[in-house]
Amino acid sequence: MLSFFNPVLALLQQESERGQVSQMVKAAAHPDLSKFLVIGALLFIIGVAGVLTRRNIIVIFMSIELILNAANLNFIAFSRYLREVGSVNALAGQIFTVFVIVVAAAEAAIGLGIVIALYRNKETIWVDEIDLLKW
Amino acid sequence: MTLSGYEALFFWIFGLAAIFAGLLTVMARNAVHSALFLISSLVSVAALFVLAHAEFIAGVQILVYVGGVMVLFLFVIMLVNVGAEERGREEIFNNQRQVTAALIFCLLLVAGVLYAVNRGYSGLQILHPKPEVPAEQQVDPSQPKTATGSSQATKNSEGVGNNLYRYGSLPFEIASVLLLVAIIGSVMLARTLKQEASADDVDPETLQEELARDPELVNLEPRIE
Repeated sequence: MLSFFNPVLALLQQESERGQVSQMVKAAAHPDLSKFLVIGALLFIIGVAGVLTRRNIIVIFMSIELILNAANLNFIAFSRYLREVGSVNALAGQIFTVFVIVVAAAEAAIGLGIVIALYRNKETIWVDEIDLLKW
Repeated sequence: MTLSGYEALFFWIFGLAAIFAGLLTVMARNAVHSALFLISSLVSVAALFVLAHAEFIAGVQILVYVGGVMVLFLFVIMLVNVGAEERGREEIFNNQRQVTAALIFCLLLVAGVLYAVNRGYSGLQILHPKPEVPAEQQVDPSQPKTATGSSQATKNSEGVGNNLYRYGSLPFEIASVLLLVAIIGSVMLARTLKQEASADDVDPETLQEELARDPELVNLEPRIE
């Protein structure tokens, strides 16, 4: 009786090991570089969607911060990957991230200064009403 | 790089939290809510940095972004708050056709980027077929273990500092000049005519024109003689 079921069980086990779902579960239990990249890509695209669809200029600025942050996440993920591959200068990604953060801070300061000057002159924060340069 | 165990669990928690908070940033009606969701997204990404062994950058991210940039954002939101959007009278998105076109573009972008990530990653796996260093080689006996016991305290800040001065000293100096320019520029942009007039910093002809429009400026006396 048992000898009849054994090959069937073995076949089932083999199938479930090779199956799509169990592979996905296995991949999810061990996230690697590509999972970091996917999260970075999704954050980037959410930021792009925010820039393209919102009317509030301050929310557009925040979406730009989201985009820069997604780029930072990619730099850090590759930095870790290269360290484990054994690259000589794997920390370069982290250095670059520091500079991205510096540029983001400067951009936020200037951008918000522009927003305040604009609000003082035009009394609006909706981008579709700021059409001084439109022909 | 492969995370496992609790690291994998926290990776998914913080990754999904970052994405959801990002979505809510874009979709929240009130700009203050947007800023708060963006703060939680940034903190989640900082946690992902810790999982990727970039502890110093995670600290910088929280200090500079959450402590500096987002506070600046909140101040500006409260300075220019029009109040119409949270009462629901103003439309928060662009008109329908623009939003549709933008979303179609974004879906195409999602498909393209995910395809590129998959292709590129399989190429990387061919290039470095065994990127994993065996776990016992990663253990550095000179470093203490962390509380979880699964990883070690690192010298990340020291490494970043070394690298910053060895390979990035010129960009570092340029970044300091950039920050100086940003300080001066934002002060210049945010100054009002009244403040400029009180520091006697306005062209006399412009001042005459503005006086014709706003008689209150007469009361101002130049502070600097």
